[in-house]
Amino acid sequence: MEKKLRIMVIDDENIVGKRLKPALEKDGDTVETFEEPNKALERFGEAPFDIVVTDIRMDGIDGLEVLEQVLARSAKTKVIIITGYATVEVAREALAKGAFDFIAKPFKPGDLRAVIEKAAREIRA
Amino acid sequence: MEREQLRENMRTRKEVAVGDFMPFPYPEKGEPVENIALFERPSISIRTRLVMAFALSFAMCAAITIWSIYIAALVQEKIVFLETSGNYRIEIQQARRFEKNFLLYETNLPEAMEHLRNAEQILMENGETIGNILGASALAIMKAHAREYHSLLTELGRKRDPLERQDIEPKLREHGSQMISLALEFEREERESVRKMLSQARKIPFLFLAVLVVLMVFIAFFIKTQILGGLARFKKYTERIGRGNFTPIVPKRKYRDEFSMLAAAFNRMIQELDRRHNILVESHKLRAVGTLVAGVAHELNNPLNNTMLTATMLEEDFSTLDDKEKLSMVNDIIAETERSQKIVRNLLDFARESEMEIRPLQIEKILDDTIRLVVNQAKMAKVKIEKEFQGPLPPVHGDAQMLHQVFVNLILNAVDALPPHGTVRVSTFKTKEDGYVVVEVRDNGPGIPEHILPRIFDPFFTTKANGKGTGLGLSVSRGMVRKLGGYVLAESKAGEGTVFSVFLPATVVPSKYSSG
Repeated sequence: MEKKLRIMVIDDENIVGKRLKPALEKDGDTVETFEEPNKALERFGEAPFDIVVTDIRMDGIDGLEVLEQVLARSAKTKVIIITGYATVEVAREALAKGAFDFIAKPFKPGDLRAVIEKAAREIRA
Repeated sequence: MEREQLRENMRTRKEVAVGDFMPFPYPEKGEPVENIALFERPSISIRTRLVMAFALSFAMCAAITIWSIYIAALVQEKIVFLETSGNYRIEIQQARRFEKNFLLYETNLPEAMEHLRNAEQILMENGETIGNILGASALAIMKAHAREYHSLLTELGRKRDPLERQDIEPKLREHGSQMISLALEFEREERESVRKMLSQARKIPFLFLAVLVVLMVFIAFFIKTQILGGLARFKKYTERIGRGNFTPIVPKRKYRDEFSMLAAAFNRMIQELDRRHNILVESHKLRAVGTLVAGVAHELNNPLNNTMLTATMLEEDFSTLDDKEKLSMVNDIIAETERSQKIVRNLLDFARESEMEIRPLQIEKILDDTIRLVVNQAKMAKVKIEKEFQGPLPPVHGDAQMLHQVFVNLILNAVDALPPHGTVRVSTFKTKEDGYVVVEVRDNGPGIPEHILPRIFDPFFTTKANGKGTGLGLSVSRGMVRKLGGYVLAESKAGEGTVFSVFLPATVVPSKYSSG
């Protein structure tokens, strides 16, 4: 049995966390969901996560800042960016800043699972 | 169907009316309705009026000229007659001189008789004229004296006896002196009348001058009111149209003239300008819609994603979920679909072309709708929009679509001007006296440089990079606010930000609100 992954999901849309939590937990990973990036970063300070899935456009702190702070604390964490309005510029910026990958809204839980699996393989490699 | 019929009727009636009132400069078919009033007045063209004024001047000058010719002819006649009356007096005087010679030396009686006959001849020939001047009775007296004198003189010639002659002598002297005094009076009268006429003739140039002055003043006044006044009026119209006021020109004078034709042409131009302006406004709105679509598409992805996630999970776990969870998920799907609908409807409402409809509007509602439209744009630019509504405010007089467009333009401008984490504050209040509701759109951006500020409302003026702005937003916004009877002010301080204040006329007397 592979080691369980700790996954953090940040999106100010309540439903995103509500649906992704059971979807991602099916693989046996631990999933924590947050609507406010502040609280998520606070929690990350307490205990680092292997994978962070964050929306890019949020009030207060946006996804790119979350990306920077997460990587500053834990370089081996894979950050997956969710974008509502996928533009090449945003994607390029996210990747340049060290994001693992990005996924555009709307997506199916399966799409995210595939990206997470890819990230998990890198973590375990 | 009925309505169609009614409209048809109205149109034909209008055409009949137009035809009735326009016998001469008939405008082209399809003349704008606004011009009818201009043609409803009776026509007296400026050309006709000028021709009339000059004809009148000519008539007056001609009358005075004819009168002066008449007076000159009269004077000439009098002078000729004066000569005649002088001759008459001389003849009488000669006759009397020879009469005295006869009485003293008994000579020259035939000469006296001859001179007397000459005098009588003059009286006979000019009897009518003399009668006119001195009166018929005076003429009769003159004639009687002459006759009497004649007979006395004849009698004197017959008498040889000096004693008998002495009897006749006093009578003869009496008639003689009477005749001379009458002749002198006649001459004096004539001279007096000539003097009078000459003095009258001397006044003619002054009269002529007076009439000329009056005519010149009249023509100057005519030119001032009819032509210069009209030109000044049209100068004002061009200024008004330049400021974007496209209300048609209405008749100002009782009669229609060349300026009415100009006014009709102006009204056609105004209508065309208004039509083009509306196209401009519409095209600018579509541009704003284009900008807003980006934000809306972004915003729409959230409910779409929620729906997608929920529906997929429902399908995936359909057999393991209990009914309560399934119902909750279905409700989520419904709620998120409604949310999508709202987002799209808001933009569609804004994008839809609609006729202007002025009615009382609650400014807070207009601003809430507007902010909802632009909030995605603001989020993307990481700009915060704050509201500060001072209530209760009286309703404003306006068209919802137009006001949405005005505030979308102003807020998007502010958002564009701001760096990330900037703030746009939208606040409302009312003016104390003149019954305006004021909406302020304030940003804390870099501000507009002083040398640019006076030009920001000019059409096609833009500070944005090539192709990013049309330069029409503020010009169009100001045009619309003016159309609603309001005005826009801009204030800016370098480094502190910019405030756009939109003054909109309130529909109710403000005292009702300030007291309540």
